[in-house]
Amino acid sequence: MKAAEKRVGAKDFGKAYSDGRVRKYREWRGVPDTLYDYSRWLYNWVTMFRVVLSKPRNIKAMFRYRWMANYLAVPMMVDRHTQGLRGEHLRICHAEQDLIIDDVAKLLDKLFRGDRRIGNDKAFSDKVVLVDENEMQSLMMGFPTLVPLSREIASTYIPVLLNQRAALHYIDVAQEYGLAGDVCPMPEAEAGVSIDDDAPILGKCAVQCNTTCDGSLMGNGVISKRLELEDGVPIFQLATPLRHQEDDVQEYAAQEIRNAIAFIEKETGEKWDWTHYFECAKRVNYATKCRMEWLDMNKTPYPQVFGSNLALYTETNYMAISGRIAAFEEADRKITALAEKAFRKKKMAANEYRHRAIIWGVQSHYYMDFLVWLLNCWGIVPLTDMLSMVSTKMIAETDTPENREQAIYDIAWLTENMIMRNRTHGGYKVLLDELWEIVEEFNADMVILWEHMSCKALDGMHGLFEERARERGIHLVWVSHDLFDPRVISRQGVRDQINSYMRTVMQEEPVDPTLEVINDAESW
Amino acid sequence: MNKIVNIVLKILLRLFLFACGAFAVTFVIYILNLDMKLTAKMEPVLFWFYDRVKRDQHL
Amino acid sequence: MKDLKHLTWFEDLLQDANNELVVQARDEGKKCVAYVCENTPEPLLNLDGVFSARLRAPRTSSMEMATYYLTSFLCEYSRALLERAMEGGYNFADCLIAPDGCTMINRAVENMELLHTMDEGKENFFYENMEIPMKADDNGLNLYVLQCKNHILKPLSEKFGIDCSDQAIRKAVEEHNRVCSLIRAIGEFRKGDHPTITGYEFCVITLVTYAAPKYLLIEKLEETLEELKTRQPDAKDNFRARVLIVGSEVDDPEFIKLVESTGAFVCADRFCYGSFPGRDPITLTEEEDALTQICRQYMNRGQCPRYMNQAKILGRRSYVDKLAKEYKADGILYEQIKFCDPWAYERMVGSHVMHDDYGYPVLSIDRPYNTSGTGQLRTRVQAFIESIEIKKIHGGV
Repeated sequence: MKAAEKRVGAKDFGKAYSDGRVRKYREWRGVPDTLYDYSRWLYNWVTMFRVVLSKPRNIKAMFRYRWMANYLAVPMMVDRHTQGLRGEHLRICHAEQDLIIDDVAKLLDKLFRGDRRIGNDKAFSDKVVLVDENEMQSLMMGFPTLVPLSREIASTYIPVLLNQRAALHYIDVAQEYGLAGDVCPMPEAEAGVSIDDDAPILGKCAVQCNTTCDGSLMGNGVISKRLELEDGVPIFQLATPLRHQEDDVQEYAAQEIRNAIAFIEKETGEKWDWTHYFECAKRVNYATKCRMEWLDMNKTPYPQVFGSNLALYTETNYMAISGRIAAFEEADRKITALAEKAFRKKKMAANEYRHRAIIWGVQSHYYMDFLVWLLNCWGIVPLTDMLSMVSTKMIAETDTPENREQAIYDIAWLTENMIMRNRTHGGYKVLLDELWEIVEEFNADMVILWEHMSCKALDGMHGLFEERARERGIHLVWVSHDLFDPRVISRQGVRDQINSYMRTVMQEEPVDPTLEVINDAESW
Repeated sequence: MNKIVNIVLKILLRLFLFACGAFAVTFVIYILNLDMKLTAKMEPVLFWFYDRVKRDQHL
Repeated sequence: MKDLKHLTWFEDLLQDANNELVVQARDEGKKCVAYVCENTPEPLLNLDGVFSARLRAPRTSSMEMATYYLTSFLCEYSRALLERAMEGGYNFADCLIAPDGCTMINRAVENMELLHTMDEGKENFFYENMEIPMKADDNGLNLYVLQCKNHILKPLSEKFGIDCSDQAIRKAVEEHNRVCSLIRAIGEFRKGDHPTITGYEFCVITLVTYAAPKYLLIEKLEETLEELKTRQPDAKDNFRARVLIVGSEVDDPEFIKLVESTGAFVCADRFCYGSFPGRDPITLTEEEDALTQICRQYMNRGQCPRYMNQAKILGRRSYVDKLAKEYKADGILYEQIKFCDPWAYERMVGSHVMHDDYGYPVLSIDRPYNTSGTGQLRTRVQAFIESIEIKKIHGGV
């Protein structure tokens, strides 16, 4: 399918790439869209100056923590995700990205404010509850006066989105201490940050969670050794059931939430606030409603909110925000309005749509904008991805005695169904069987299956994915990567897997041949 | 009265010229990606500092 | 030392998952409950009318089919089990019960189920996946009990008509304890300065108790215990250092043989399929139902790294220290099967802590599932043993 009117997106995107860290120039999008993008670029720099760089303590932190260097690349991350976008799609992307930038800037500022090494604001630190990187913050929906902060989001998760090499130093540190090189590099890097003495020290208490995988669970043990036993921050380990689809684990999950709340109350002296909880719950439901609307649009020939933007925004909004911040509700509203407008006008986000794809598996973190490349280079539309297919269950949102009890089960359910773990755990049905239901629902002809090499939960279904795809006549393209470590498979290595499939199996020529091979090995 | 109007106009003109200048400069930075080219140069400098930070590396 | 009378018989039992005692028990009309993880309470799988067999894949060579399904990034233990299942090597099983202990074994079992490796033509065959606690506390205990009821006792009762009453469970615990106390007593012979059993022999005997019906082993275990009481040690010790092995599952005694061939004596076994804590007897009182007591003891004693609360994490180190002292270990060998996530972390932290905080010489290795003929491994262990020996000479250990 080709765009009916004038061309969407620039020609020859590949020419903007240089061999170095950054691109030669920014994209010319026509006068209105270029000016709009310019204004958002300026806005993001102002945000970073206002929230982070204007404070001496944050400058001090910039020279203390190695991972802070990656934040130099924030504008480039936005450029990568907005590539080729025009009109409503560009505005949707900025509505998401700019808010995330604002939120992350505030996270950094708060971390350094409480950090014993930097700001050392004890009173503030006493309000901080540290949470895991992969932890549903729905647990904090009833604590409006406390500040949940994740050191790992700031030190590893975001940096790898910004700079493909961000985690390498920490992975090496962990391996120097004897950690096997075959574990998932995400918890490995987080453990490396702790070993390297490169994590801010703050907080009244912490809640760690067994979300995602065995590696994540075990990495927490490394972090807690230092955080709890040396820095004296008490930690509650929230054990969330793995077989989350089973009825007979829900009471256990709910009791864990009750225990976690009791722990936070005891450590901080704060009380759970039901009024605030239900306010947040309304926002969680609104976000769910919006996400479902976007996904419904993506089932039609004119998808509007899709690709890496959908994944990144859902991840942030669903997991890290959990209805706690009103600005995200506003963004949901704005994005929905823009998407509806574009949908009515049957707008396309690229010049040509050739294939409708479901993106499954754990995405390469060092190449999150791969989905933008898929669209621009081969016309493959990433309709939705595994990380965006999270819980669509509406949670109790009015304050009644019954709902207060139900709320505990809702928080437990959300925690069990945290992004990624809702598919990688809970039995094969949620990972394997539901994929084909989604393929049908979205009328997709292709599955791009990320194979994160050290994600055992995904690898363990490899053969059955292939068999099922063959039975259904769906094109399944494996894309191997190592999540945080481009030394194992480079970005071009990732692209080559698609290139060779499209050329040899599909016998197709790229939509934009300049994107087929790009020398971005040194790029951020 | 005219004098005040002139002064106001002058200020507005200067502000306008300043805004135009600021726009021209920042737009050039934006479109030629100069901000990223500069920060890319800063990265090795920061690494120099990080390598010299005293840290208690242990498990 | 003179060969143990029944050693060859025990060794033969380990040559095949479907060993002669499994065949005999099935011929007697008992149902075989296959399982794959130490967190499955064994007495519940050995109620009257059923017996347990912990799956192993002895003499594994190629794992190509399993590697296609699981990729080469999953641990070889999971792959070896799936390969053997696909080859029909576990067709003797009447059901398979698996806790979601680690992701890899969970996926291996799910593949077994989806590929119908064991259930073809067996009307009552069932696969059960259990959730098991990750922390040792009251909530974890409640979960454990409920899961055992729903995923072990209920299907055993419904499918095979097994009596799962409190009384029946107590009877099974009695038999379980008989085997455990025999293994403990046999293991005591490793404590002396001149041990009368080798680590290899002990490993073979312990492994058999996981892989064969227990009630058919008791007689031979008793005879072996009696034999050990009068067994004379060699005139000169043929080992240079006493080593405690800690780590992930070891279901192949050849690994212990390899370690001992370098001049070590494996004085204690803190690994999955080992006797610590797997062969701790279960103490029951009349005040509480047997199932709850079994689950509590499994949960509290469990040394699996998936237990994530701080008390459990610290407990794992002190447990290793206690064993090392009790069995007079000169050094500790931390091992893991390659690609095992839980033990990759546990090995890293444990090996540092036991060396830095407890002062033990520690060797930390990852290894393939099949260790026979692994020259590199032998060289590393040999160097470790020599380093301990040198320290001993210099009075350092």
